[in-house]
Amino acid sequence: MATPSRRSPFRRRSLFQAAGLGAAGAAGLPLISACGDIESGGGSAQVTEGFDFLPTYKEWPLPVEPDLIGEPPHHPSGFTSYPEPVQAVTDLPSGSGTYEFTIPMWGEAPSKDDPYYAAVHEAWGGTVINIRHADGNTFADTSAQWLQANEFGDGIQMFSWMLYAHPNFRETVVNTFYDLTDLLSGDIADRWPLLAGRETAAWGKSVWSTDPEDPESARIFGIPGSISGGPGNGMYARTDLLEAAGLAMPTSVEELLDVAREWSDDAAGQWAFFGTDWFTPAWFGLASGEGWVWDEEQDKLIHNCERPEYTEWLEFRRTLHDEKLQHPDAASGTLEPKDLFTAGTILFHQDGITYWSDFTNQVKGGEAEGTIAPIGAIAANGRTPLVHAVNDVEGWVFLSKDLEQEQVEEILDVANFCSAPYGTKEFELLEYGVEGEHFNYGDDGTPVYTELGTSIVQAPVNFKTFSGRVQTFLTGQPDFVQDRFEYNATMKDYIETNIWEGMRVEAPADSVAADQARQDQENDIAYGRAELSEIPSMVETFLKNGGEAAREHFTAAYKALHGK
Amino acid sequence: MAALQTSAPPASGGSRARPRIGRTRTFGQRLRQDWPLLVLTLPALIQLAVFFYWPSAWNIIAFMDYSPYRPFWDNPFVGFAWFERLFSDPYFLPALGNTLKFALAQLLFVFPLSICLALLMHSIVSTKIRSTFQSIVYLPYFFSWVLVVTVFIQMLGSDGLVSNWMLGFGGDRLSFTTDGNTFVFLAWMQWTWKDAGWGMIIFLAALASINPSLYEAAAVDGASRWKRLWHITLPGIRPVIVLLLILQLGGILTVGFEQYQLQREAVGYQATEVLDTFVYYRSIIGSQGESFGTAAGLFKGVIGLILILIANNVAHRLGEQGIYQKS
Repeated sequence: MATPSRRSPFRRRSLFQAAGLGAAGAAGLPLISACGDIESGGGSAQVTEGFDFLPTYKEWPLPVEPDLIGEPPHHPSGFTSYPEPVQAVTDLPSGSGTYEFTIPMWGEAPSKDDPYYAAVHEAWGGTVINIRHADGNTFADTSAQWLQANEFGDGIQMFSWMLYAHPNFRETVVNTFYDLTDLLSGDIADRWPLLAGRETAAWGKSVWSTDPEDPESARIFGIPGSISGGPGNGMYARTDLLEAAGLAMPTSVEELLDVAREWSDDAAGQWAFFGTDWFTPAWFGLASGEGWVWDEEQDKLIHNCERPEYTEWLEFRRTLHDEKLQHPDAASGTLEPKDLFTAGTILFHQDGITYWSDFTNQVKGGEAEGTIAPIGAIAANGRTPLVHAVNDVEGWVFLSKDLEQEQVEEILDVANFCSAPYGTKEFELLEYGVEGEHFNYGDDGTPVYTELGTSIVQAPVNFKTFSGRVQTFLTGQPDFVQDRFEYNATMKDYIETNIWEGMRVEAPADSVAADQARQDQENDIAYGRAELSEIPSMVETFLKNGGEAAREHFTAAYKALHGK
Repeated sequence: MAALQTSAPPASGGSRARPRIGRTRTFGQRLRQDWPLLVLTLPALIQLAVFFYWPSAWNIIAFMDYSPYRPFWDNPFVGFAWFERLFSDPYFLPALGNTLKFALAQLLFVFPLSICLALLMHSIVSTKIRSTFQSIVYLPYFFSWVLVVTVFIQMLGSDGLVSNWMLGFGGDRLSFTTDGNTFVFLAWMQWTWKDAGWGMIIFLAALASINPSLYEAAAVDGASRWKRLWHITLPGIRPVIVLLLILQLGGILTVGFEQYQLQREAVGYQATEVLDTFVYYRSIIGSQGESFGTAAGLFKGVIGLILILIANNVAHRLGEQGIYQKS
């Protein structure tokens, strides 16, 4: 091996001097660091309504009206019967392009050779869109890297909740995705009647400003998914197990604890709960999203962790741990709670609202046994319940800015096809697949998935969510639709008011980091690794390391939005 | 070698100058002579340039407020601002402390174990037993950390095999897969199971290079098994031990990522946060961006380099070869 040069500062005799210099340099860095300021990661706020360049709304008449009439958005209408589907797109475009889209999915990726894909390609005019399925559990985090490296194919689908993982998403959007404004602005009903039938609000929520300082630079960058309302998640109970144990569905947090104590048996390997981290804050009146609420008395934004209900919530979670009411390995993160719930090892399970229908379909398909229902609107200490709800686009399909205009128009043809609502042949093909292969009509005329249909069409995210539907309804098995309709009716009066309606606010980077640490500390307390008495210092640390800066940022946005 | 020497032409007339021997060749001469060797090294040079030097050059973004969407030189230079943010981050020092703790534990309790395993393996005479033992000890190295952590939870978790077995005998559930205070012990068990077998391979190779006649001679002279180990085996593999020790010191701030990230939920971030997970949660999840992560990476690199140089220097002073030959 080579001997170090005599001129090298790292030659043998000077090694310790070099090490000393290094250590001194590291210690002295802050003194010489003020040569510039970091401006990135300061957060952003984007207005999402009041634009004059959005597609002109033109109603697309529904082929059939729902029989259960709700109060949209949080209590959507539904169908308890399956109509004879009609053709929505009569002037079929001819497409010849082949594209690749990155789409998240949970579970096992389906075969790409299935006839489902060939059938939909043919049905919408020949355009081939190959799906690159990526793990939904890590999609939010890893997509940040794909986007920066421009490695997502010709387009990518992202759910709106995934934006939290993207530092400065506004900058990503305007630099990475195709600006659709010139194609979609004004009257588009001739070529894309179904896209023209989408709510103006959905298009407004697909706008980002190319220049953060200039609101006039706002442009449309995404094809919006459906706008859905009502509770987006649920804490599901195995009602069959409750019934077998002679227990009733709880109507308050106190009753819930009693049920949990009654049912749990550590020695026998059954526990009431598994995960309780993200769904249960609502039971204690804590705010959703970034956790800020406007306090009229103090005339300022208050974070969840500064409220006494926050301590109550952590006390509740700690009780579950201390009294062995939750699975002892819940903290490990290596077990699949769905499997434990299906097996009857746990009684309650937090999940998305679609899990209700997924489980119901699994039971109908013979893959699971039991009955489930979400716990209704409950609260602790006699307070009025609060229900976290969604009233946003579920996500977007973004197109690569490297595409040619003709290619983008061809993909918008596909999006137009995918926007067909319930009661159309397009909806039936996208939602259920090919009759005889992916579904069969049941006795009541409603499509029932075959085993292949469940794995290829029903379970994975695919073209069902490629573009939002003209209108969305509760659909599926009639008894399930009825149950969910009634559930929404009981929940709608407790839905949380969205104080950020009309604005999309990105938190500053420092506060995101501080919030991550705070959530880790929450889990420490909940799983018995830290004491409840540490909450005040934990809150102080959060506020000091980014929380206060976030309050300033969100307050400015709030005041701008509400004219304060 | 005559071709390498040139003689000055004799001066015309009178005095005869002494011929001057030129020992250095021109660049062109060396190129003509060595070009096949240079061509042979070209793939390695390209590989190094593309996958090491070019990415290393990007460390410059640690001194910029970098955005991948701006032309590179439009990113403003911010001096050491990212380092200042790194060192003032309240979670940085605990992460550094944990990293050093795990590195030290690996150094003290896993590194010697690999040597012990190698010695044990070397002493097994039966080929059948030796290959069986070898397979059992090697195999876990090829398991992913996800699998290793899952196996430990299934076996030793609160609802694992051992816990349920103990419960059946009136005992209590084990809790150390979710206990931050004992995580270093859990981590040690996992390293031992997964990595110690792999670590012994190099030592086995070093053991194989020891001349067997030394053992025979020592045995004839009446040296016991222990004396042969102490006076022949260990001195025989000492250069390799020192070399690996120095390399391990260089990577002291790189103790791994998956093992800690996977068990973060289970035992809490305070017990598992090491520099790599800190960078991940701050830079990627926490939205601090590429410059912050690069600054942290550069810090690790500089500390690693300093440690390697110090350790190598110490090795030289102790008469060892170290990572390069002492001049």
